[in-house]
Amino acid sequence: MKDLAIEAKQLVKKFPARPGTGDKKAEGEPSPAPKKGIWPFGRKEPKAMFTAVNGVDLQIERGEIFGLLGPNGAGKSTTIRMLCTLLEPTSGTAQVNGFDIVKQANDVRRSLGTVLAGERSIYWKLTGRENLEYFAALYHIPQAIATKRVEELLERMELKERANELVEKYSTGMRQRVAISKALLAQPPILLLDEPTLGLDPQAARRVRELIAELKQEGHTILLTTHYMEEADLLSDRIGIIDTGKVIALDTPEGLKRRIDQKEIIRLELTGWHDDLADKLKSISGIEHLTTRQQGEADLWEVNLHAQNSRAALPRIVESISGNGTRLVNMNIVKPSLEDVFIQLTGKALRD
Amino acid sequence: METSVTQRSLGQPGLRSDLRALMAVFRREWTIFRRYPSWIIALFIWPLIFPMMYILTARALSGPDGSGLAVFMKTTGASDFIGYIVIGTTVWMWQNIVLWDVGFSLRDEQMRGTLESNWLSPTWRFSYLLGRTGPQVISMFMFITITAIEFGLLFGVRLNGSPWMILLMMLVAIPSIYGLGFAFASLVITVKEANAFVFLLRGLVMIFCGITFPVSLLPGWMQSISKWLPQTYLIHGMRAAAFSNAGLAELASDLIPLLLFGIFWFVVGYFTFLWMERHARKTGAIGQY
Repeated sequence: MKDLAIEAKQLVKKFPARPGTGDKKAEGEPSPAPKKGIWPFGRKEPKAMFTAVNGVDLQIERGEIFGLLGPNGAGKSTTIRMLCTLLEPTSGTAQVNGFDIVKQANDVRRSLGTVLAGERSIYWKLTGRENLEYFAALYHIPQAIATKRVEELLERMELKERANELVEKYSTGMRQRVAISKALLAQPPILLLDEPTLGLDPQAARRVRELIAELKQEGHTILLTTHYMEEADLLSDRIGIIDTGKVIALDTPEGLKRRIDQKEIIRLELTGWHDDLADKLKSISGIEHLTTRQQGEADLWEVNLHAQNSRAALPRIVESISGNGTRLVNMNIVKPSLEDVFIQLTGKALRD
Repeated sequence: METSVTQRSLGQPGLRSDLRALMAVFRREWTIFRRYPSWIIALFIWPLIFPMMYILTARALSGPDGSGLAVFMKTTGASDFIGYIVIGTTVWMWQNIVLWDVGFSLRDEQMRGTLESNWLSPTWRFSYLLGRTGPQVISMFMFITITAIEFGLLFGVRLNGSPWMILLMMLVAIPSIYGLGFAFASLVITVKEANAFVFLLRGLVMIFCGITFPVSLLPGWMQSISKWLPQTYLIHGMRAAAFSNAGLAELASDLIPLLLFGIFWFVVGYFTFLWMERHARKTGAIGQY
């Protein structure tokens, strides 16, 4: 039997839909039939519900980094919030470190170190050291151990020199290191890291990624959510791709990429892109998916085409894009990346 | 460097740990309070400004020879009309500040983004409200002491009673005033906005509790409502303790209802908090701005 750090079975979370947003629901879910009677009083219309997470199953083994990947609004953060007991599932069950997230919520909290997305999870009017001392008390760490632990983490996160300055004077990267230190204070076996590199400059993001890799080496189980494909690819032992509240694929990064190994990615760089061109390219036999991305401010577009046989499709592609103000600047046939796997599975790019 | 990770965290649950966490919330709040310099204005200027409005109105209405004040003192039984007004307005300000400070404490944390990170810890969650209340109680006692000193120095208001009896009245009023604040704090998290409720409640206290006049002046139906507001007993008792040298026996008619209201409002505050906590886990209200 597997030694699981986290196990979720058919987790569902529904919220009342906000007025004006209509009844959003995950694909395949029937709309509730509106109840209307002759008597207009005393009977409420059923509340429209929005399904944020729709039957998520997860099995995360001890010591692994599990990446949960998906675009904004896919259900990543809601899943994390259920696992860390901030939210109660509408249905389904989950266990964290062997504890039920509803019935043994406090044991779950004791087993977890969580970094939620956003940099305001710590007090800006306290110093870095005061923040850590405060959270050490909240996590019930005895005073003598807490003092030692705070010093260790300040040292490790390279915050010691500025530990007595107010957090409001820190850079975004330093604040994120305080937030990660907070999650590590109690040396919890499981870490939930929700978008830990969001908003960081490249150097600070790299430092955080190195740290995540070190934490795995020390034996922490890490559930990482991100919408940076490269990050998930680099760090994760296994990846779950989540879209519209469902896990639509789950495998190792290599396993996921193998799924479209027989496919090729034709990457074009064009100027003078127009929407009619998309229809033309999609109509070419053997082309399965098309995504576009504007490169910076200039009129330069990256176009990715998934093809069964690039050699057969290339002449028709070149023919389609010539003329009408469009100019081919560069063309490559590349190995599929995780992003391409995501496009293959969902039909859209991750940052859509 | 980290040691290897076990399946148990370093945390050691228990009553002692929960008390340490409560003290940590208290210390955090006190540290943050001191780092905003506006507290000096709140403590030294505001106690003078609000009562002054009523004191000057009373002077203006008393006529050129001040004869109206004699009528006022006869009606109220007060020996010092300024002291009479200051006690009423100070109780009103106490309740008002608690509604804003304690009532919006969780909402403030939510707006800062720190509420969720507190909620993620295994600490008894009521600590976040109780711990935040501690510095608030201290600052309010400082506020009331400064009020007494300022009006003593500037207007010659003198206490004619035991300061211990005044202190007793205030201590007994704490559960009512803060229990209401706890209930408020929980509702504000759920509905996100509660200005209208604050205005309504402080309006009720202003009119029905006799902050500048005796409740006996109110029509009968209004007096019936006054009896259901703990602030009525606090104002009456503090005036009696401060200016009529009332002892425990004379104050019992105010102390007993205050104690009963205290139990009621504290229980209401606690259970409203538990309800909110449960509701927030279902709806995600903790993380919503």
